[in-house]
Amino acid sequence: MVEHLVEMRDITKVFPGVVALDDVSFACEAGEVHAVVGENGAGKSTLMKILAGVYQPDAGEILIDGHPVRITSPHEAQRLGIGIIYQELNLLPDMTIAENVFLGREPRGTFGIVDSRKLEQQAHNVLRRLGVDIDPHLRLARLSVAQAQMVEIAKALSLDARLVIMDEPSATLGGRDLEYLFDVIRALKQQGVGVVYISHRIAEIFRIADRVTVFKDGKTVGTQDVSQIDRPTLVRMMIGRMLSEAFPRRGGAPGEEVLRVEHLTCKGRLDDVSLKVRRGEIVGIAGLVGAGRTELAEAIFGARPLDGGEVFIQGVKVKIPSPRHALARKLGFLTEDRNEGGLVLGLSVRENVALPSLDRRQQAGFVDQRIERQVVTSIAQDLSIRTPSLAQDVENLSGGNRQKVVLAKWLVSGPDLLIFDEPTRGIDVGAKEEIWNLMRTLADQGKAVLMISSELLEIIGMSDRIAVFHRGRVVGEMPAGTATEEAVMMLATYGEAHDG
Amino acid sequence: MMDETVRSTRGADRWSRFVDEHRELLTVSAVLLALVVIAVFAAPNFSSSRNLFNVLRQAVALGLVSVGQTAAILVGGIDLSVGATISLVGVYTTGLMANYTSPGAVVLIVLAMILLALVIGFTNSLVITRLQVAPFIATMGVGAIVQGLVLLYAKRPGGKIAPGWDFFAEGKIGPVPFPVLFLLVFVVLTGLYLRRTATGRHIVATGGSEMIARLSGIVTWRVISYAYMFSTFMAALSGLYLTSRLGAGDPLMGGLAYDRYDLDSITAVLIGGTRLGGGKGGVAGTIIGVLIVSVLNNIFNLTGVNPYMQWVIKGLIFIGAVAIYATRRPKGRS
Repeated sequence: MVEHLVEMRDITKVFPGVVALDDVSFACEAGEVHAVVGENGAGKSTLMKILAGVYQPDAGEILIDGHPVRITSPHEAQRLGIGIIYQELNLLPDMTIAENVFLGREPRGTFGIVDSRKLEQQAHNVLRRLGVDIDPHLRLARLSVAQAQMVEIAKALSLDARLVIMDEPSATLGGRDLEYLFDVIRALKQQGVGVVYISHRIAEIFRIADRVTVFKDGKTVGTQDVSQIDRPTLVRMMIGRMLSEAFPRRGGAPGEEVLRVEHLTCKGRLDDVSLKVRRGEIVGIAGLVGAGRTELAEAIFGARPLDGGEVFIQGVKVKIPSPRHALARKLGFLTEDRNEGGLVLGLSVRENVALPSLDRRQQAGFVDQRIERQVVTSIAQDLSIRTPSLAQDVENLSGGNRQKVVLAKWLVSGPDLLIFDEPTRGIDVGAKEEIWNLMRTLADQGKAVLMISSELLEIIGMSDRIAVFHRGRVVGEMPAGTATEEAVMMLATYGEAHDG
Repeated sequence: MMDETVRSTRGADRWSRFVDEHRELLTVSAVLLALVVIAVFAAPNFSSSRNLFNVLRQAVALGLVSVGQTAAILVGGIDLSVGATISLVGVYTTGLMANYTSPGAVVLIVLAMILLALVIGFTNSLVITRLQVAPFIATMGVGAIVQGLVLLYAKRPGGKIAPGWDFFAEGKIGPVPFPVLFLLVFVVLTGLYLRRTATGRHIVATGGSEMIARLSGIVTWRVISYAYMFSTFMAALSGLYLTSRLGAGDPLMGGLAYDRYDLDSITAVLIGGTRLGGGKGGVAGTIIGVLIVSVLNNIFNLTGVNPYMQWVIKGLIFIGAVAIYATRRPKGRS
């Protein structure tokens, strides 16, 4: 029997409301770069977090060099030689770069006193390996997002791990930084380290990976040698069919203008952004994390003070100083994080849906239950929210149904414009298609839709028009028909169209 | 990928960086200075050496417990059991010293009190990390249990202290009161502990983000237990000091009867710039916070402010201190 560096056999992991991993097997060899792809919520991050000791599997086993192991904590994972670079930056802003890199593994002298000189020297060395020249004394809060990402990578490298997992390390990197990262990956490979590389960018996989495993709906679709497949095949594996078949057909000619912003500026976040959205139209907002997409939505919605610029609704110049005013102007905003910004998990479906419009259904200070029930029931049917009853607490629903509840909540007030921030993040594929269809239906009914998304496939598949953000500016607009993944990515990464 | 702003860290920039990174410490120092100036003018007796030493002696009791409280707040929690711990230590110490007065017995009593305090701190951390009870509630509950046990044992002030034990509070080394030196030693050691040792940094890191600390391989429940045990350890020292100062024990000495060490220590720590919620701060600020609270108490007493009015004013300062830092707290990255 062949011994793999790391092998995961028949892993199952269930979270309340969703089977994150269903009998998944996965292996990575020494000296291999193994790409892992799949949509958000496909289970790849969950699998890696099991390797990193963050989650415990409900079933299945993990072997390292053929020996079964139990990875009970992140501490244990480090001891076993597994390093992970997390998607969200796991760095403390008030600590220095050196302290962050070696957090939990500080070189110590007598009395557990940290050897600061050694700490900084080692941090400097690791950063050098990455081709980064930053003073390790600096506090993290002073770094840019890309720099912080490099520190995060340095942190994982400093472990001298046998297996390095990279969960979308390139999400905030472009240009030279990305090349450095690839150099590091090649060097790791030469040293016999196994690298698991999770990414959304298909082009990268063909550049750096030896093998690729595709995840979908908590299962593996298959593992292939990268040299054996081409891009359309990989995309088909990811979404289960050709790209064009997964999304609803596009809208017809757009109607009158609903929202126009001119020269919107928020210091350090948005820089002279102008944009318009018309009835019947879905405008996709693409860009890297931190490019100002969510900030734009917040600025429009009155949740972020403006330093300059104007907002027009149906051609009339308006001021929206708070979300309450935005509601009155018939705007709706489905935030990125449904659980924190969108829903009260401990309340029922009905109560959640009715929340923003309660004021208008009061009788002597009490909410009119009968009308509330009628309104909510009818919307829940329109959206086909699947719940045993409307009295069910939202926390028991799946991600897709939660998103529908958020949508219902906004639809009650009859908005003209809906802003979706990452509408299908963390939702399984079947539910994604439902959300996509709903968005298109809403547009067809004459609503204007602004959709922020990090998923290029979604941006390209759904949008009638695409605006690409780069460092707080709109660097390009393109009609969806002609946009390609590469073109959008180039603009988002470099701020200009670019070859290679 | 480097831009110039980050590279140039010389000369005038270094000074501005120093100001930038110690802004809170400099601010509270200025507040303390202003308060002292006010005191000198408002209360003529303030600047007498007798009164100043008195302020310092008072500051030691609050200082010791606040140094411990700093760790509890830094790790992301809060310790509301320190008052009860002080009462417990005070009552048991004087109860035992009434019967056993040999130097050997005193050493044993002190060790036993410290052990007892460590058990209380460890219990706090277990309730927080294992039972997942919020620190506020956990330490308040444990504190109530401890206070109840104290009152079961002793209903009113009593006990005695061993001969020579009063040196702790009243003794001098050269011209300097011994307790001031004692506090100073612990401030320095704690400062080094929190900034220079791995465990100390793990306390700060865990307070910054327990998740990040855990993902970095830090065994966070252990770090949390160190912080709470340190907090009650310092409370025990404070209790021991108070027995020396008062010459007797009192079942309410850490809480309702005299100063309210729970609230006062938290106030001192927060005024000192340690962030409520953890991850930032340290003992240097705490000591300035302690001096501010102590000078304020002294001004109240010298000018004869109604004790209940003092509560009202201190409550306002407490809320103010938290509010200033809360509203200035930087927003996270989007």
